[in-house]
Amino acid sequence: MKKSNLLTRREFLKLAGGSAAGLAGLQFLQHLPPLVQKAMASAPVGAGTHRWAMVIDQAKCTGCGYCTKACKAHNDVAPEIAWNRVIYAGKVKDKDVFIARPCMQCQHAPCVEVCPVGASYYRADGIVMMDYDKCIGCRYCEVACPYGARAFNWEAFTGPNPEVPEWGQPEVPRRPRGVVEKCSLCFHRIDRGLAAGQTPGVDPDATPACVVACPVGARKFGDLNDPESEVSKLLANNPSYRLREDLGTGPRVYYLPAREGASA
Amino acid sequence: MSAKIKLPRFTLFRAWLAVLAVAMAAGLAAAWQVFTRGLVVTNLTDLVPWGLWITIDLSAIAVSAGAFFLCAAVYLLGLKRYQPLARTATFIGLIGYSMAVLCLMLDIGRPDRFWHALVFWNPHSVLWEVTMCVTLYFMVLVMEAAPLFGQAEWLRRRRPRLAALLASVHHFAPVFAVLGLGLSLLHQSSLGATYGVLKARPIWFRPDLSVLFIVSAVAGGLSLTVLASMLSAAFSRRMRVDDSLLDSVAKFIGWVLVGYLYFRFWDAFAMTYTYQPGRTEGLELLTGGALSFNFWAGEIFIGAVLPAFILLNPRWRGNRLFRMAALACVVGGVVAYRWDINMAGQLVLLTYVPQELAVRYTSYVPSLVEFAAGAGVIAYGLMAFTLGVRYLNVVHHAPLSEPEPAGQPTPEPAGAA
Repeated sequence: MKKSNLLTRREFLKLAGGSAAGLAGLQFLQHLPPLVQKAMASAPVGAGTHRWAMVIDQAKCTGCGYCTKACKAHNDVAPEIAWNRVIYAGKVKDKDVFIARPCMQCQHAPCVEVCPVGASYYRADGIVMMDYDKCIGCRYCEVACPYGARAFNWEAFTGPNPEVPEWGQPEVPRRPRGVVEKCSLCFHRIDRGLAAGQTPGVDPDATPACVVACPVGARKFGDLNDPESEVSKLLANNPSYRLREDLGTGPRVYYLPAREGASA
Repeated sequence: MSAKIKLPRFTLFRAWLAVLAVAMAAGLAAAWQVFTRGLVVTNLTDLVPWGLWITIDLSAIAVSAGAFFLCAAVYLLGLKRYQPLARTATFIGLIGYSMAVLCLMLDIGRPDRFWHALVFWNPHSVLWEVTMCVTLYFMVLVMEAAPLFGQAEWLRRRRPRLAALLASVHHFAPVFAVLGLGLSLLHQSSLGATYGVLKARPIWFRPDLSVLFIVSAVAGGLSLTVLASMLSAAFSRRMRVDDSLLDSVAKFIGWVLVGYLYFRFWDAFAMTYTYQPGRTEGLELLTGGALSFNFWAGEIFIGAVLPAFILLNPRWRGNRLFRMAALACVVGGVVAYRWDINMAGQLVLLTYVPQELAVRYTSYVPSLVEFAAGAGVIAYGLMAFTLGVRYLNVVHHAPLSEPEPAGQPTPEPAGAA
């Protein structure tokens, strides 16, 4: 063969080997020093001792919206933003049915995957967290979330919170203008409760505000790693579903569908 | 000053600069609103969080693609005769990327944290990769454009040492061409993938977007380079262009458009099979809904089919007016495509309520502040190019005097006198 600018077999192999080495190098990103890893993203999910989940019983939900108000007060959310929404979802036997929609705390959260700065990340117990000090406000997560669970702070929230004090007292700082915010599963209540020896889902102080506020007990919260927790039992003994399961996001919020015969 | 003869021409030039300056002032006023009051002054919402500025950002990056493509052609493929065009394209690229940066600074909620992606890495994010590539490529463009400044007559007279240093960067042009090629191929297509990876938006969620973004960017980037060169030559007698060079690139653009239309056709056609919630409605929005004029006229017919016919017909292409019109159409078509892509996925929302994957429609019309700021960014780009043409000689096809110099900066033919 004429030795032209065509690659020889040896050169080709070298090139291929080099590319393979490059790819292998990418794999090394997984094994960077812990500090870098920490800066990069999230703790391995499932490594924690807890696996939090929320169960919402649509047969009980009356659409009163108390959960939304309690959420807004405890998390000091601006009036034009709602971390938790209650949406009308049709009728079952003349009875109105609603879907209460907090953040789904997805196992494979599109928002975490797309965030360019790692401001959205997983905690070991599965909570999808927001680092408001990292967020640059690009709103890619908003576009990526299939559940519309994220809201951008288009302006600063400076005035009084209309839901305070009637629905509770703020427990976390207000987010600044220009960052995206979302439901945090009241991680601060969970953490504070655990530190005080309480059981989230059982002790109200250690349980998300929306669950505590629900007047009909439609919301349950607890640890799926504990087979005796109420959520574990509910899911074991009832048919349940999650929103847009076809997307493979793996929500940690489960719904018990409204059904005939079940009472409110 | 020999003002008597030059006065009329100077007036036109100054009038042009004055118009741009007014637009830039309006843009600055709008930017002041954005930075002091926040993004509440826009018409963006949580349903449509990406609007006009993102379109300008994407378009500015797309029409800057001539830089990497021509530099690769000249320094890697050895097509040396296109070197003068690569020079123009590099300067356009530098401006285009700085326009994109300006748009992003307006658009992100926390411009004070623009550097976060460089420090807090999420290698899983396409947008992170885009940010890194754009940042690195911007540096490459600065290095590639350094000789332009080093060769400028006024700098060589005042700061000969600095000018020589800047001009000497030219020796590394092949290295920068390799870097530029890699970085550009990555992020130009990743900008398509930025949309393409989102499951939540069915009309976006497809792999072809990356391919369409890079192909349309090559067409748009080359078009703007040739168009800007021709316009400069048309408006100033001092600019000399080699029309055979522009003609052959224009022909090449014609073929790129044919390739683009091929991909675009199958991309759209594949989406029409079987109803898929969200995606089908998004396609309907493009072909028969609110975006249909922009799609059929702006994107497909005037933006690609018509210019492909003109640019592939030697007689039509030979007519400079026709050629310039066709190139302008291509640039407009690329902008229309970016707008359509960005909008189609956001105006159609898929609900998550079970048993009822209903589609909701929303709308978006940019606010006055968005228009003013966008106009300011575009005016900045035009102003920078105009000044570049005048003081840096970025459009200059006269005797190719930059073949591998040995040590000393090559004297640029004194076109600016």
